[in-house]
Amino acid sequence: MRKAIVLVTFAVVGLGVTAVGSAASSAPRTKAPLVAAASTCSYAAVQPDLFKRGVLTVATDSPAYEPWFYNNTPSNGKGYESAVAYAVARQLGFSKAQVKWTVEPFDASFAPGPKRFDFDINEISYTSERASVVSFSVSYYAVQQALVAMKNSPIVKRHTPAELRTYVYGDQIGSTSLAFINTKLRPFHQPSVFNTLNDAKSALQDDRIQALVADTPTAQYISSSEIPKSVLVGQFPSTGEHYGLLFAKDDPLVACVNKALKTLTGDGTLAKLQKEYLGVYTSIPTIKP
Amino acid sequence: MPIRGSREGAYLDEQSLLAAGAPPPGGFAGSGRGSHLLGGQRAAAISTASTVVFIGGVVALFVFAPGAAAVRHTFFNPQQMKQAFLGDPSLGLFSVGKGLILNIEMFLIAEVLILFCALVIAVLRQLRNPVLFPFRMLAVVYTDVFRGVPLIIVIYGIGFGAPALYIRGISTQSDFVYGIAALVLSYSAYVAEVYRAGINSVHQSQVAAARSLGLSQWKSLRFVVLPQAVRTVIPPLLNDFISLQKDTALVSTLGAVIEANRAAQIDSSTLFVYSSYTVAAALFLCLTIPLARFTDRLIARDVGRRLAGGGAIR
Repeated sequence: MRKAIVLVTFAVVGLGVTAVGSAASSAPRTKAPLVAAASTCSYAAVQPDLFKRGVLTVATDSPAYEPWFYNNTPSNGKGYESAVAYAVARQLGFSKAQVKWTVEPFDASFAPGPKRFDFDINEISYTSERASVVSFSVSYYAVQQALVAMKNSPIVKRHTPAELRTYVYGDQIGSTSLAFINTKLRPFHQPSVFNTLNDAKSALQDDRIQALVADTPTAQYISSSEIPKSVLVGQFPSTGEHYGLLFAKDDPLVACVNKALKTLTGDGTLAKLQKEYLGVYTSIPTIKP
Repeated sequence: MPIRGSREGAYLDEQSLLAAGAPPPGGFAGSGRGSHLLGGQRAAAISTASTVVFIGGVVALFVFAPGAAAVRHTFFNPQQMKQAFLGDPSLGLFSVGKGLILNIEMFLIAEVLILFCALVIAVLRQLRNPVLFPFRMLAVVYTDVFRGVPLIIVIYGIGFGAPALYIRGISTQSDFVYGIAALVLSYSAYVAEVYRAGINSVHQSQVAAARSLGLSQWKSLRFVVLPQAVRTVIPPLLNDFISLQKDTALVSTLGAVIEANRAAQIDSSTLFVYSSYTVAAALFLCLTIPLARFTDRLIARDVGRRLAGGGAIR
């Protein structure tokens, strides 16, 4: 009996090692970086770089927030990010029907291992630390952070840099807005960190936090359409932050998508979509952190 | 073969087995633990070889897999792990180590409250007085509901529901308090059932004997049934508390409680690495493994006690 157990142990381990060996030999399945791909970005040329041939698989989180998406339905083409994704697809020669949306939670988007999408569009800010794990496209939106509070809150009137430190903030986990609170506003009271932006909004409404920080379009949407009696206090000066599409590290598709984004920036398409979905923000006061 | 009461029969069996040199059931008590486990030199050699091959296979998986380097970079990056443990305010990162103190605080406070509340519920369920029927009903409904609803929903319900009510005294508590309240509500339902099993395991003859000595129903419960019941259920109780230690991490969903897991999440989503989770997992193991070993020792001691002739209280 004992002998049998020993034999089984050896057999199982042996199988495991063999499996590793064969997995290693089939390694070329992972996408290899191809710089040359940039020169030809035709529909046919990008096919080998796709998650699934003939389909552009685009990921975002659920819930997908307005004004980046509408009705949590990325495939309706409405909302800035949805529109950008379809515009990029058109540049690469894909029809609207060939764009397939998939849900990718933010926390999973940067996991090691093969990605289940071609790119992820989910208000993800470029940072150099993040870029060591995944690849980013060039900017499709230059981000500024803004402050949302309830109308009767003291922060609406009093927000000098020193006063800003005295409030209780809250934000969604993983957002650069949260990093902005911690590194730029440096409040005395530890900020609350929520799973989703919706939880943070709910906390703001119930006076559990005094203010939240979000990118300006989101902040404007929250104050104008989502939380009654809330107000966009102001936006902070740009820190050079921008949103980029997220790819697997060294994905060869990045070059062609960058080319598409540059075309869309050059011909004014992105500016037009920003005006259509994100509004124009000249009237928002600037406050200093 | 003894044919008397099944329990005693089992004990005699165990003792005869002991005499024959076989390990006692429920643990390898005594000094010869190692040799019992391995059983002779040849067996020792085989078990060593199989251990080496097994561990070697697992290590090989981590070293030679196509994505091994990426996994090591993401999950086991020493510099990131150090940064996660200590935190880094300049990058907006919280200390996972400091967060663990919150986990321990929540766990200790909740544990005391749960032990008390659950006992009250279990006793309520046992009372046979017809006047107390509504309380009995309530206890049944309570355990059904809170054992059935996922803990995270209870936490959300209390943490987001109570403040929305705007009731003075209830709506202005901290997330720390709401979190503990949710843990107590949920775990008391489980633990009450554990207590109840313990109470039911005390033989009816014990109650009959206590009553015949002139003890009231309450006193026989208090002095005869409960002491025996609680002793029996200490291992499963500790098991629930190991689980509770981990579940304190769920309280972070309320926002203001940045415990070890939440600190690790912030770290992870800011830097796109998972090494902070490895740190949090290791810290949680430091909490739960000692308690698990302590539980094992209690069980072994209990077995030893019974083998020694039953009822001997040390």
